Amino acid sequence: MEEKKKGKKRKSTGGVLGFVRDFTYGMATHGMARHALKQRSSMEHLFILITMGDMLGIPILPPYYSLRLLPHVVPQITTWKRRMLREKDLMDSMY
Amino acid sequence: MSLVDFFERYPNRRYLMYGGKGGLGKTTFSAATAYYLAKKGKRVLVFSVDPQASLSDIFERDIFGKGNVEIMENLFACEVDADKRVRDYQEEIRQKIISMYGMKKIPEEIEDYIRASSAEPAMEESAIFDAVVDIVVKGDFDYYIYDLVPLGHALYYLSMASIYDAWLEKITGLREQMKEYDKAIATMKREEDTEQDEIYNELMYIKDRIGSSSKIMTDTEKTAFFFVLTPEEMTIVDTEKAAQLFAKYKVPLSGYIVNRVINRELLKDNIPTYLKNRIEMQVGALEMIDTKFGSSVLSAVPEFDSEIKGLDVIRDLAEVMFEEKLS
Repeated sequence: MEEKKKGKKRKSTGGVLGFVRDFTYGMATHGMARHALKQRSSMEHLFILITMGDMLGIPILPPYYSLRLLPHVVPQITTWKRRMLREKDLMDSMY
Repeated sequence: MSLVDFFERYPNRRYLMYGGKGGLGKTTFSAATAYYLAKKGKRVLVFSVDPQASLSDIFERDIFGKGNVEIMENLFACEVDADKRVRDYQEEIRQKIISMYGMKKIPEEIEDYIRASSAEPAMEESAIFDAVVDIVVKGDFDYYIYDLVPLGHALYYLSMASIYDAWLEKITGLREQMKEYDKAIATMKREEDTEQDEIYNELMYIKDRIGSSSKIMTDTEKTAFFFVLTPEEMTIVDTEKAAQLFAKYKVPLSGYIVNRVINRELLKDNIPTYLKNRIEMQVGALEMIDTKFGSSVLSAVPEFDSEIKGLDVIRDLAEVMFEEKLS
């Protein structure tokens, strides 16, 4: 991914300085982007939980309107269910 | 004030509703009011979403699930089939999923969820109120007379609407936050702008629907809500309680109509004790109505000696209700 990003860069100035700048930029951004994506997907799951919670037996709200949202989350349902129903313990977060 | 005065004074009140306990005459008064206004040259739609709707009975026509049926000049009636509406809606969602993802068949867990949704208690209420929005937003009638489902449903929906609203507020907030993340990720990855959030648009649509359906019931400019009651102590007490609850949800209560009043003159005749006792009970109850509701009572309608059915009897009733000869 880092390589790809460097390749995409506009007009590379070249030289050692340019390389260092690209390298650090790529490193930093990559980490941030990864974090943001992770955060984004937890939010996605939270969102499905709030709107479709009754699929897991958590009745949250009358389904008339949440049914309207269903088509848009169909692809995420399986991963969401897996994640929500996964057993977790404290040790998981330590490793 | 009389009913006629009311309609003259508030010509903008186009959504009329009769509420009250079951069997007191909501449908009857809806039909009679529709008849009166239609005779006055207004285009009127009287509609019901009650699965046990009796508009078909009162107009002696089978109109259930048939859309707007013309009963006479200017008067249309409609009975919404809520069950069918829910089924159609579910089918629409299925089709949408299939066409969105090019699936041959809905995944089992999704299908289960769709099927289970119709068993949820609030599904029907929501479907009903959604149907009402559909009927009313078209706006092709001068008056809409809503033969309301029993009071409990209406109150339930109104309270639900405010919860829905708070809920939507939160999830649209969450959705907006997610959008921020999308934007940030896109910038970091130096990608083009993010695509439209379909879910956000759906949420906005839902918000609008819920807003308009609860607004129909609470619009002080356009809505008039009448309570139907009979001269019986228990009904009076219940009506008073219901009125307080409705007032809490800001439903514009416009007055009360008393039904089934037995002619007091009969006391002069030689009548059976049973009837005599009933009349005396009603005299007491009518006094109670007067102290409790006073000038908000717009009309008092006698007990008819036949069932109110068919246009001729509806006309007779309308003449009494509006104190006016209708030809």
